[in-house]
Amino acid sequence: MKATPTIRNKGLQRDSLQAILMILPFLIGFILFSYVPIIYILRYAVTDFNGYSTANFTGLHNFHRIFTSDPDFWMSLLNTVILSFCKLLVEIPLALLLATLLNQKLRGIGFFRVTLFMPAVISAAIIGLIFSLLFASFNGTVNTILQNVGLIGKPINWFGSKWSAMLVLGIASVWQNYGINMMFFLMALQSIPQEIYECAELDGAHGLRKFFSITLPMIAPIFESVLLMAIIGSLKVCDLVISLTNGQPGGTTEVVMTYIYKFFFGNSGRNIEIGYASAMSAVTAVFLGLVTLVYVRGTGKMKEGQA
Amino acid sequence: MKQSKLISKAAVYLFLSVFFIISFFPVLFTFMSSFKSNMEILTTGNTIFPKEFVIDNYVRAWQMADFSTYTKNSVFLSFFCVLGAILSSTCCGYVFSRGRFRGKEFVYYLMISSMFVSLGTLTLYPLLMMMKVVGLNKSLWGVIIIRVFGMNVTNLFIARGFITTIPTEIDEAAKIDGCSFFRIYYNIIFPLCKPLIATVAILAFRSSWNDYMLPMVFTMTDPKRMPLVVGIMRLKSSGAAASSWNLMLAGTAISLIPMMVIYLIFNRYFVAGMTSGAVKG
Repeated sequence: MKATPTIRNKGLQRDSLQAILMILPFLIGFILFSYVPIIYILRYAVTDFNGYSTANFTGLHNFHRIFTSDPDFWMSLLNTVILSFCKLLVEIPLALLLATLLNQKLRGIGFFRVTLFMPAVISAAIIGLIFSLLFASFNGTVNTILQNVGLIGKPINWFGSKWSAMLVLGIASVWQNYGINMMFFLMALQSIPQEIYECAELDGAHGLRKFFSITLPMIAPIFESVLLMAIIGSLKVCDLVISLTNGQPGGTTEVVMTYIYKFFFGNSGRNIEIGYASAMSAVTAVFLGLVTLVYVRGTGKMKEGQA
Repeated sequence: MKQSKLISKAAVYLFLSVFFIISFFPVLFTFMSSFKSNMEILTTGNTIFPKEFVIDNYVRAWQMADFSTYTKNSVFLSFFCVLGAILSSTCCGYVFSRGRFRGKEFVYYLMISSMFVSLGTLTLYPLLMMMKVVGLNKSLWGVIIIRVFGMNVTNLFIARGFITTIPTEIDEAAKIDGCSFFRIYYNIIFPLCKPLIATVAILAFRSSWNDYMLPMVFTMTDPKRMPLVVGIMRLKSSGAAASSWNLMLAGTAISLIPMMVIYLIFNRYFVAGMTSGAVKG
């Protein structure tokens, strides 16, 4: 009987070793691919590295350049914020409305669930391509439809000016993402127990009152995390913008990710400036971190207020 | 009362139908346009159906514009990403659910925290340089290694959650029979993970098949290694974009069809997988 604990201990030791060995390759890979790139960026942010020559330490020169003489960077960041804000203003209420409708027990609702979610499985780059064709200025589909309905007299050159191009980016982005947010909300709605509604109905609550007094508070926790993911996701938008406008016209629709990308890889006639791109990446990372922090703090306060 | 219910029902159907058209039209339009001649694509955006079906677009895209190579590369990339995702998520999910070693919780939260430090496109260049060290910066293997070992947090969530629901009595019994930790994974847990494997495989297929930026920077200099999305976009950004819309759209259709078919068959798993991140996170 005395021997049992040691055997078990040995077994436990062997099992622990096996568990560590099973996780080790993924742990190493995870550290390599998640944290080492950040160290890399921080290291080169204070140099003038251009990919070929040796990297000279330049102190805070890159940051000085960002803050004093690169209005284009700040414009791209501002574009990102404007685009994210405006499109989420449409996307999130729309997703919630569609989820509420899809949560009803109606015949054929499954068909709508499947088809409305479909855009979410298409590649962002492909979506950009499709929308650039749909919004083509000469005989484009959207122009033709708008003309036939009589909303516009002559074709709009969608990609000819900044704000119309941004509008197309927003529309494409909403199209890409409303399905997934709709599904998040639908799952949240389905987790609300039906009895609560029955009680409320006995108390005489109807329609909108039920929605604002029961539905919204019940899905608040999921709503908060969905919104956070949507905010971070849209601030990091890249593929869609590259394939749809690539910053055109004249670099005015550049978002922060595409702007920095061009300094790393030297696309669109830019020189490769790894050092400067790294510094901009660091600034952007801090910005994203701040947004997350403010959001988490803000929603935390909201919860306290309710309780 | 009954009449107003009927009206509201009709309004719901009408609204949903509008969004069905909005969701479906761009896809239908792409498929139909892929059968148009280039001339027709550029001059008539006002018709959905082509004047005559030009199958030749597909033949030319496949043979002359290298889409056979791109497709092969996409299948290669997706296959190994899916295989890797199945292995990594069941392995890590099992260890984080059942393993016992010091620091397990710390490692788990370290991995989850990466969700908040992921910088998307900003890390492309460092990743490329890291792969250059081992000579994989011009190969899709570099992409596969980054995707598989870079650990997908969503997959980890799903896997850990799923494996935790498997009753521990099953592995207790196996342990008494002398099975080691790894044997229990290999012989007992893994075979019980079929729904998990389906979900993870579909998520991995979706993301690797649709991936653009990462495979793009790894194949920039070598079109022979490009997957479909990268190949299509290369055609778009090349000078000949205006004259090759028909090939581009045929290529787009080639990349969309497998995705659509798999989505329609397995849509349950798509929805379950893609939504689990928010609810459990």
